[in-house]
Amino acid sequence: MRYITQRILHATLLLLAISFFSFALLDLAPGDYFDSMRLDPQISRQTLTGIRAKYGLDRPLPIRYAQWLGSLLDGQLGVSLASRGPVAPLLRVRARNTLLLSGTATLFAWLLALPIGIWSATRRKGWADRIFGAATSALMTIPDLVLFLGLLLLAIRTGWFPTGGMRTEAATDLGLWSSAKDLALHLALPACGVALVSLPVLVRHIRAAMIEALEAPFLRAARGHGIPNSRLLFRYALPAASNPLISLLGFSVATMLSVSALAEIVLSWPGLGPLLVESILSRDVYVVVAIVMLSSVFLVAGNLLADLLLFASDPRIRME
Amino acid sequence: MRVHSKPEPELDRTEPLVRVEHLSRQYVQHRPLTRAKFTVEALEDASLTIRRGTTLALIGESGSGKSTLARCLALLEKPSSGAIWFAGENLAERAPKELLLFHRRIQLIFQDPTSALNPHLTAAEIVAEPLEIHKEGTKDWRRHRALELMQQVGLPTGSERKRPCEFSGGQRQRLAIARALALEPELLILDEALSSLDLANQEMLLSLLADLQAVHSLTYLHISHDLRLVSQCADEVAVMNERTIVEQKSTPELFGDPTHPYTRELLAAMPSLESICLERSA
Amino acid sequence: MTHKHKLWAALGLLGCFHALVFFAGFFAPYDFAAHNRELAFVPPTHLHFVDAQGKIHARPFVYGQKNDPTNRGLDAIDSAQIYPIHFFSHGSPYQLAGIFPSRSHLFSVDDPGRLFLMGTDAFGRDQFSRFLYGGRISLMAGWIAASLSLLIGILVGTLAGFYGGWMDQILMRGGELFLALPWLYLLFAVRAALPLHIAGWQVFLLLVAVMGLIGWARPARLIRGVVLSAKERNFVLAARGFGGSDVHVIWRHVLPETYGVVLTQMTLLIPQYVLAEVTLSFLGLGVSEPMPSWGTLLASLQQYYVLSSFWWMFLPAVFLIPVFLLYYAAADALQERLASVPL
Repeated sequence: MRYITQRILHATLLLLAISFFSFALLDLAPGDYFDSMRLDPQISRQTLTGIRAKYGLDRPLPIRYAQWLGSLLDGQLGVSLASRGPVAPLLRVRARNTLLLSGTATLFAWLLALPIGIWSATRRKGWADRIFGAATSALMTIPDLVLFLGLLLLAIRTGWFPTGGMRTEAATDLGLWSSAKDLALHLALPACGVALVSLPVLVRHIRAAMIEALEAPFLRAARGHGIPNSRLLFRYALPAASNPLISLLGFSVATMLSVSALAEIVLSWPGLGPLLVESILSRDVYVVVAIVMLSSVFLVAGNLLADLLLFASDPRIRME
Repeated sequence: MRVHSKPEPELDRTEPLVRVEHLSRQYVQHRPLTRAKFTVEALEDASLTIRRGTTLALIGESGSGKSTLARCLALLEKPSSGAIWFAGENLAERAPKELLLFHRRIQLIFQDPTSALNPHLTAAEIVAEPLEIHKEGTKDWRRHRALELMQQVGLPTGSERKRPCEFSGGQRQRLAIARALALEPELLILDEALSSLDLANQEMLLSLLADLQAVHSLTYLHISHDLRLVSQCADEVAVMNERTIVEQKSTPELFGDPTHPYTRELLAAMPSLESICLERSA
Repeated sequence: MTHKHKLWAALGLLGCFHALVFFAGFFAPYDFAAHNRELAFVPPTHLHFVDAQGKIHARPFVYGQKNDPTNRGLDAIDSAQIYPIHFFSHGSPYQLAGIFPSRSHLFSVDDPGRLFLMGTDAFGRDQFSRFLYGGRISLMAGWIAASLSLLIGILVGTLAGFYGGWMDQILMRGGELFLALPWLYLLFAVRAALPLHIAGWQVFLLLVAVMGLIGWARPARLIRGVVLSAKERNFVLAARGFGGSDVHVIWRHVLPETYGVVLTQMTLLIPQYVLAEVTLSFLGLGVSEPMPSWGTLLASLQQYYVLSSFWWMFLPAVFLIPVFLLYYAAADALQERLASVPL
């Protein structure tokens, strides 16, 4: 129990620190959203000052941060200067979309990586291992950006997949099944892209973890007792490898978010990524801070989850 | 030939070179989760003396605190309580800067020569390093001196460019000894230095050490668990048990007439010793 | 192939490529900014050895373009006009390695003939030349940023590992902050904190500094691990036994143990940072026109009509793959080599 509370406390402090630093960092940025208005001769300086005051942009940093924190507890996340409304609802939809994409991609990636990794580990130096090894190495050398652009090209050339967005525009009246199919079609390309990008590293680590588990002395002893290979694999090796694999899961959440941000931008999936870039280009400060915070919440939560899973599954950690 | 920065005080021949008095060393460790502190005793009230120019053997089982004592003596660790007197000076009262001088006079040879030598450096660089640290002479002079030392310990000429991995176990230990001699120490602590070598090498190194002792008037603290070895090379023997010294006597006395029950146990466990004891007392 | 051979092969090829890019002025037939509105989106020029009359030429040549803005296809070629390729010819001036003015190019074609090996973009600029010049920016950004990250990582990792205690705690906790954000988000966030529209070299330096300053945490952790195990080694203890100071011990014994990790990290970080620069420039957050970067070269692909109609615009993306392949191959070979060196 102590361990759990320790981890949660640690995570909370970390997030708090990040929130402060990102807030302060963005405050350093010269210029703000209303700069473009300065050029408009019809808007007087007083109006500008008034608008700035309305959004609290003229108060000193600590006060703004405190206000922002307060609004956080309220469930608000500050105000979007572009849409003149609260940030939270804006983020909700986008965050949901990003989670949908990352979640699906993580699922795809692990569904592929686990069998490949395990099989490669059991048939070390065999032809399967070599082929998969070469394939994953080749996949790893393709930069993410290139892969996503390639997928886009594929979509355009073949017309099998839609080239962007989350749903077909005119599809508001489709029944449940059709609209699910529509969503799936739109999701397929970005999810596959993200999964493919994350695949090589996953396969490598899974293979390494399995090899280590398979070579452990206790496993060799079990084999000496005549336990069949399949049982060895699933009842002995896999649980033994679960410690590094769970950590890997936590780690893959982090990279998955980064990768999906790029995929969202290139393949026009309406997630947090494109919103972030837009807000940066328009200097919509609170939105940027909120997105940065949210992404780190996901990451920290992912790692925390992994820690807790480890705690629950690995008796050695409980013993300490 | 001694090189000291200040003139030696009039040597009291009866004053031992090393006097360890009631030395204790504790480690404080934390339990992983609760951070509760608990202390580990490594040395408890250990005392011994070593006379100049002699060899004191320190015997005991593993875990009895021998290595800790050696490291405290070699100034690699600070004792928790007690005093170490070296050549009549109390080391505990010295400021860290002054202790640097004592580093020159006390040297430690490790059990495993492979780990004690930086695998990336050449033999000459290794032997010259102490001189480098104390900024003695020029680069050329240091190299020259390193070659001299290597010759003294019996390493083949032309091996100064080799890396430690290119030497045999016995040769590596010779290299370590050469390095230890660079600063012309007075006390040489051998922490199980011969344990990792085969018998032939042990014999060779023992005779080398005896020669060096005669030539340079060295004092040895020889830590070992090998009683046969000890009986061959030591003038006095100190027995260590449960982190403290239980007995210190001259070699023939100890082997012939052990007082402490633990010593008797130790000696009783070695059947072939009787013949050695008979030999010595004869 | 043994490890040694693999390593030298990868490094050799990488070296060749970097030389190409370093001397971009010499290898590129055109300047990166030389534009020609009439020649927008021209496909790569075909090289011929045999002309329409069946005559074989000693040197490869290109056909002239018919001056017809409405017709860009293959039949826009005027096969009556032949422009042979000249090697080591004189062309537009540039500065070799940025210092020595020079006019010689490896190969070029007389005006008005054009040699577009990778086609042209929306402004009629030669993509091949821009690829070479752009490589300069992107690769340099990668190298400098990676070096910066590693330097900070070495400093932090060594201090944290060697001295431990509160210094270790503070430094590692600080590093955690940087690792707690997905790196792309972090990159964007820091980029957001900088002025958006800066010109020329300043934005490049700023980008490089940003990338370098945020990426030190992972290398620092690795180096700290090495330092932790190195400082317990007996030869370090021995050096202390001679009265070696902290500085001496770190410099002579601990740091050399880290070189292996540092080198491998270098070969892994450089492509990562190159990609970061390319991504930023692609999104308009990096270097801006007219500075070429691989990212700006690919930026036009965000428009569907470009991606679907002009296949040669995808070529820079394709050529990125062998570059990264070489870096990863070098990293692999280096790791194997280091693992096999006997202790």
